Formats: sequence, structure tokens, C-alpha cells
Amino acid sequence: MLNGKPDDATSEAARWAALIAAVAREKDREAFAVLFTHFAPRIKTFMRRSGASEQSADELAQEALLAVWSKANLFDPNSVGASAWIFTIARNLRIDALRREKRARTSGTDDIDLEFQVDDGPTPDAGLAAAQAESRVRNALATLPDDQLRVIELSFFDEKAHAEIAQSLQIPLGTVKSRLRLAMNRLRGLLGDLS
Amino acid sequence: MTIAHHPSDELLTSFAAGVLDLGRHVAVATHLTGCPHCRRVVHAMEHVGGLVLSDLPVTPMSPGAFAGVEARLDGLAPGVATGPRNTAAGLGDIPGLPPFVRDYPSTSWKWIAPKVHLRSVRLPEASATRVFLLKSQPGTRMIEHTHSGFEMTCVLSGSFVHAGGHFGPGDFDFGDGSTDHEVMIDSTEACICLVAMQGELKLNGILGRLLQPLIRM
Repeated sequence: MLNGKPDDATSEAARWAALIAAVAREKDREAFAVLFTHFAPRIKTFMRRSGASEQSADELAQEALLAVWSKANLFDPNSVGASAWIFTIARNLRIDALRREKRARTSGTDDIDLEFQVDDGPTPDAGLAAAQAESRVRNALATLPDDQLRVIELSFFDEKAHAEIAQSLQIPLGTVKSRLRLAMNRLRGLLGDLS
Repeated sequence: MTIAHHPSDELLTSFAAGVLDLGRHVAVATHLTGCPHCRRVVHAMEHVGGLVLSDLPVTPMSPGAFAGVEARLDGLAPGVATGPRNTAAGLGDIPGLPPFVRDYPSTSWKWIAPKVHLRSVRLPEASATRVFLLKSQPGTRMIEHTHSGFEMTCVLSGSFVHAGGHFGPGDFDFGDGSTDHEVMIDSTEACICLVAMQGELKLNGILGRLLQPLIRM
């Protein structure tokens, strides 16, 4: 749960990071199996909620885990948390899939990876272990009320999903948006020393 | 360089979530290139994304999915870090753009109004949002305008001022249909901005109505 016990957060983040490191270092298939078991079915949900069919969500989740295997050597536990890293892989695959729907040619996720490289400077968390950063974000989220958490979760899906969730929560879309603003303000306050 | 105007938290979150169309993505990325503060916010939001993902309910994978993936592992080449291609045709002469945008093809500067030139950026993907560069000479007073959609402006060099404040290099300005402003270029050098725009620009006043057919934006 997003608002689970904070003490478990760092150890969980560090555990995923260690598994990715084992994949990178030793091509450790057992470590990979653990990552697959946890993340693939969740990435599938992520893709389903983003509008992918059952079959293509399944394939995208498989693609994401294949990318975790092949890109593990690029994972830098000092610059990004493990879940965040896997999230960015899934996110970029989702963008690629949406673009492929629109046209035959595919540029591949390399182009999308590039689109998120906005500078060549030092990584934002340099000096602060990423697992710590991840647990700090988790701790901040843990203090948010449930309705605010829901809308933050929402913002990771597109507008269509917003409308659907507004419907499922039985609140107007405008309320979703204002709740999101509230939640963001709160979260920014809690993450204050980021800036 | 002090940046005073930033994209909203919601916009930065949408960027991190990867739900912006490419035109809007380019505008936010351009701001991020000059703004370490917002880069940290985006990074934090990617961590939020990781936790959101990690906490989603599961959808069982198809039978044999793991076996199928495992069988393909040996054939995979290790990942190679991606880097910009630095194509000659790009926007390499414009300072302050993110590396991937510098590679996009563009038109040459075209006159669109007295002392104002426009250079269209050709996005590699269809996007509901158009992106162009606008270069305005010092002292230019842009006609009052409103938008039927929205407009995101990132200052790359020079500066301008309108009712919402003063905007210099790195600053990000968001205008929507409710914005009705007169913009004045107040720098001694030309002011170059990257603009991402959806909808049509509507010029107000009689001069605007006269100019409207001439200005193809």
C-alpha cells in the first residue's frame, strides 16, 4: 500500500535495487524471476488502465521485463530508485505503444528515452542514496489522506482515465482536478527539501 | 540566471507520468533543461510513479509468459546508453534547447509581423500541439491576444514583460483562453522563445483584425 508502514519502505526499495544489481552483475535468473513475479502483473494493470487490450498489455509487460533484463547494466542505484526506474521503462513503452497505434513505423523506445534526458548535468539525487529518496517519497505519500492519494495515482494515467475515475469515485472531473492540486501542494510541502 | 516562473506541479507530474503530447512535452522539457529545481520535482514524481506502479493491483500474466520471456533472455544484447544524434539539419544554433529537440528539423526564420520572425519545429510525431520558435526584436509590442486553446512559452534568450510579470531566460509562461495580454519585449537583444500552442491565436482590436489574415501561426 502507498500508505504502508514507512520503516519497510527503505528495505523494500533496497531489495529491488539489489535484485536488479544481481541481474546486471551475474545475469541472475532467480533474481529476475522475483522481479518478474512482482512487477509484470502490475505493469500489465498499468497498461490495461492506459487503454491497452488484454493481449497487448500482457505483451507490453513482457517487453518491460525484457528491458529490465537487458538494461540492468544501466541501472544506477545512486541516481534512481528501483521502482521509479522500472516505472520509467513501463512509461516509455506505453508511449511507444500509443505512437505505434497511430502509424506503422516505429522509432522504438530509444527515442523516447532521449525525450526524457533534459540535461547532461549531475543526477538530481547525487549524494543522497536513491533508495532513501524513494522511501522519503513513500513516507510523504503515507501521510496523505486516501482521496488525495487516489488522485495522485490518477495523474499517472491520461485524461480519459481521469474521467473514468471521476465516474467511479462519483465526483465531478473538476473536483478530481482541484483535489489533485491540493494533493500536489501537500506533497510538495512534505518533500520540501527537494528544492 | 534566476528562474521566477515555473510550470505548475500538475504539468510537471503529467510530464513525469508521460501523458503529455509531444508538443507539450517539448515545452516542459525545454524549461527543465534550464531549471534544476523542476528537474528535482520531476524526479520525485518518477519516484511517486514507481510507488504507484508497485502498488497497483495485479492482473495475472498469460500462462507461459514467464517461460516465453526467459527463453528470450540469452539473445538480448546489454543495454547501451542513448545519446543525441546531433544531426546537421537541426536546431543546434539555438541555445537552451534539450538535446533531443536540437535534432528536430525546422524551417528557416520567416517574417510574420513587423520585427517578429517565426521558425516552425517539425516534430517526429503527430501532436495536437504545434511547436515553433518566435524571435522578436527589442521594443516589439505584440498585439493583445487571447487563445482558443493554450500556449506554453519558454524564454530561451532575451526577455519580455506582460501583466503576469517579467519573463527572462528559463522562465515558463502558460496562457489559456482566459489570458488576454499585451506583451512587450524589454531586453536589449532579440527575445527568442520556444512556443507550444494548441488552438488558434486570436488577435484583439481593429489592428489585430487587420493583421490576422497575415499572421499564420
